[in-house]
Amino acid sequence: MPLDSRRICGPESTQSPHIFTVNKDIKSDILLNGERKDGRKLDQIRPLFLRPGLISQAKGSAYIEQNHTKVICAVYGPREVMRKEDFSMKGQLTCEFKFATFSCKKKRQHQQDAEEKDLSVQLLEALEPAVQLDKFPKAQVNVYITVLQNDGIALAASITCASLALADAGIEMYDIVVGSSARIHGDVMLVDPSEEEEYRSQDCKDVNEGKVVIGLMPSINQISALTSKGEIDFETISQAIKTCIQTCQKVYPVLQNALVNSVKTKT
Amino acid sequence: MANDLKTFQPKEYYRKFLEKDVRPDGRELGECRSTVVNIGSITTAEGSALVKLGNTTVICGIKAELANPKADEPKNGYIVPNVELSPMCSAQFRPGAPGEQAQVLSQFVVDVLQNSECVNLQDLCIVSGKLVWMLQCDMICLDYDGNVADACVLSLVSALKNTCLPKVTVNEETQAIETDDKITNNLKVQTTPVSTTFAIFDDHFVIVDPTIEEETLATGIITIVTKEKKLCMVHKPGGTPLKDSQIQLCIDRAIERSGQATKLIDETQCSLDR
Amino acid sequence: MADVNYSEAEKTFILHGIQDKFPCREDGRGCEDYRHMEIETGVVSNTSGSARLRLANTDILVGVKAELGVPSPEKPDSGCIEFFVDCSANATPEFEGRGGEELATEISTVLSRCYDNSGCLDLKSLCIIPKQQCWILYIDVLLLECGGNLFDAASIGVKAALYNTRIPNVTVNQEDDEMEIELSDDPYDVNRLDISSSPCIVTLSKIGHYHVVDASQKEEACCLARLMMGVTAKGTISALKKEGWGSLNPESIFDMMETGKKIGQVLNTSLLNVLEEEEKSGNKRKTVGFLK
Repeated sequence: MPLDSRRICGPESTQSPHIFTVNKDIKSDILLNGERKDGRKLDQIRPLFLRPGLISQAKGSAYIEQNHTKVICAVYGPREVMRKEDFSMKGQLTCEFKFATFSCKKKRQHQQDAEEKDLSVQLLEALEPAVQLDKFPKAQVNVYITVLQNDGIALAASITCASLALADAGIEMYDIVVGSSARIHGDVMLVDPSEEEEYRSQDCKDVNEGKVVIGLMPSINQISALTSKGEIDFETISQAIKTCIQTCQKVYPVLQNALVNSVKTKT
Repeated sequence: MANDLKTFQPKEYYRKFLEKDVRPDGRELGECRSTVVNIGSITTAEGSALVKLGNTTVICGIKAELANPKADEPKNGYIVPNVELSPMCSAQFRPGAPGEQAQVLSQFVVDVLQNSECVNLQDLCIVSGKLVWMLQCDMICLDYDGNVADACVLSLVSALKNTCLPKVTVNEETQAIETDDKITNNLKVQTTPVSTTFAIFDDHFVIVDPTIEEETLATGIITIVTKEKKLCMVHKPGGTPLKDSQIQLCIDRAIERSGQATKLIDETQCSLDR
Repeated sequence: MADVNYSEAEKTFILHGIQDKFPCREDGRGCEDYRHMEIETGVVSNTSGSARLRLANTDILVGVKAELGVPSPEKPDSGCIEFFVDCSANATPEFEGRGGEELATEISTVLSRCYDNSGCLDLKSLCIIPKQQCWILYIDVLLLECGGNLFDAASIGVKAALYNTRIPNVTVNQEDDEMEIELSDDPYDVNRLDISSSPCIVTLSKIGHYHVVDASQKEEACCLARLMMGVTAKGTISALKKEGWGSLNPESIFDMMETGKKIGQVLNTSLLNVLEEEEKSGNKRKTVGFLK
């Protein structure tokens, strides 16, 4: 890795102490006697805490917390396009996705890594269909997302958080995009998986192990983002998408409520 | 009318207030904004703290990793603090490598840690010359409404006090590193440095804990770091020269503030431990 | 994406052609037809495996290089696979400098996501000594010409190149505590990869109210949203990704997935047939290479 001259640098190579854990719990199945480890039902989402408009300097912002998953988002703009190569007649949206260095079990780097870049693109593709870009020609809106702690569904929570922040900023949209994720485990579907329940390619051997993330605009019934991982058969993946849609519909009133409340407190 | 004056003649607007010993947000000149400390909310980090000074928000997370010590200091661990002024905290920052201001702040935090001897680096030693702890402390500014330096120092000290390290041993026979997650030790924090920033307005008004507006209008900034009622470090990057008496006033206020802040951290810490 | 500006009239023409449902795409294909494809394996002699694919105007060269390396700490008992896509400035002037980087990372992330499960390619067989030595497959995809539908073409090229890949046999000799690896120097003493369940990407582009496979560059310019699916021969889906700045109705997503699954299975079987046929013809095969 090239030396970062603009930051305080520590020793060159470090290792996480957790690699050397003795008496490590052997990774057992994600379900205990057919039940989830945190006692939730299969289709039960974790309690959701939403708070739009908490960053005083931003045009719009939002914070979302689902158990240990904590995501904060700020929206700036519409503002002038910085680089002239980026100029376009249509409005533009940019997304910056970042995991805080301390947000995961493994230490994250300061610079954006490949995964974060990929997530930025996915987030952008989820939000773009919802934003009325023609309303701010020649300008851009910047969305910055920081995951403070990742306990599963980082992408889905970011989608929800970012669209709340966009709404808080008063950017015109067709609808709020609600993100939701499901883990597919054999013929069981776990909605809103925690970090422990999330899909990892290395410890899965069978077909039908994977995850699905969707972004839905509930009131116009349009899917703006859809990604999956892992080898899944056709029926199961269709079922998972349907389950995710249902989850989004369930969460939607909560988001509306949070926005209405934040507008009320502002005035 | 007042709004017009604020937009077109912000200095005049401020002057009108300060002459009456009050600030536009209702504070007295020597009054800090309400301070909130939230300790240990990030469980993936070994230690964490969120600090709010009015609107200014800084979150500090500490990740502990194992590293080899330097050859000339075989017993010393590392503390690597970095301040991140992310583009989300204010419109003036853009994504990419840290800007000048972030670099200055990071260096300031390094100086505070060194001067206050807040953590004895030898406490971070596991096996002399072989294995030590590296604490990567990242302070991410989430909302930039002035006086980030104080918020950074406060969040760092709170996070350090919250830091819990798992027990790590090196097996003498096999030289293998063994970690026991179940036994954890609290990091020993010897002193509690508290920084207090003052803005100098019109060369003679000294106002504590400036907001972003006050910072931009100020003719000078002075930051005083104290530890346990003693002066530890003064940071005054240029600006208006100050008289002895003014600096003395600042130091007195900083010591007063340091008492309050230390109490706040300890109380929050206690409520956490129950 | 390598965008070309087409006039509104031209876009409407393409849109109407597809809307009429009558097999009337701009080049006369039906909605579920692929364009003509040419494939040749073993074109680059200094790789472990290679393939060149030409799908109408899209031209792609894939090289696989197997190297010995250390397995990643997360997966100590399996090999690695790494994708690198290079959008050469030959393909379109827009790729000059760093212009193609975005597209390149997009293609490589979709490819690695398709292969990021144990079913599609048995990476465990690439492990030599757990935690110490394994084979790392570096897959380089070079984009020579853009003619639309790059993702499908890249995935087909990758699959063909993996089929062509030969990895030297390795024997591990244990002496005391030292493990020693011996590489076979017999060019015929090689292992091959099982690609029977590797996926091919099928991209479905939504144009107007209908979806088409294998969109040409012109059609891509009219398309608002597309769905990329990694489909295996069994019909399972190894990756799914919606792309583009439009959104889709759930119903049409299911329709698209159904089409994608059907097409993907056919694509996989016919690809395998072609590859086997090519192999059977052995040395008698006339190599075409790049001069044709």
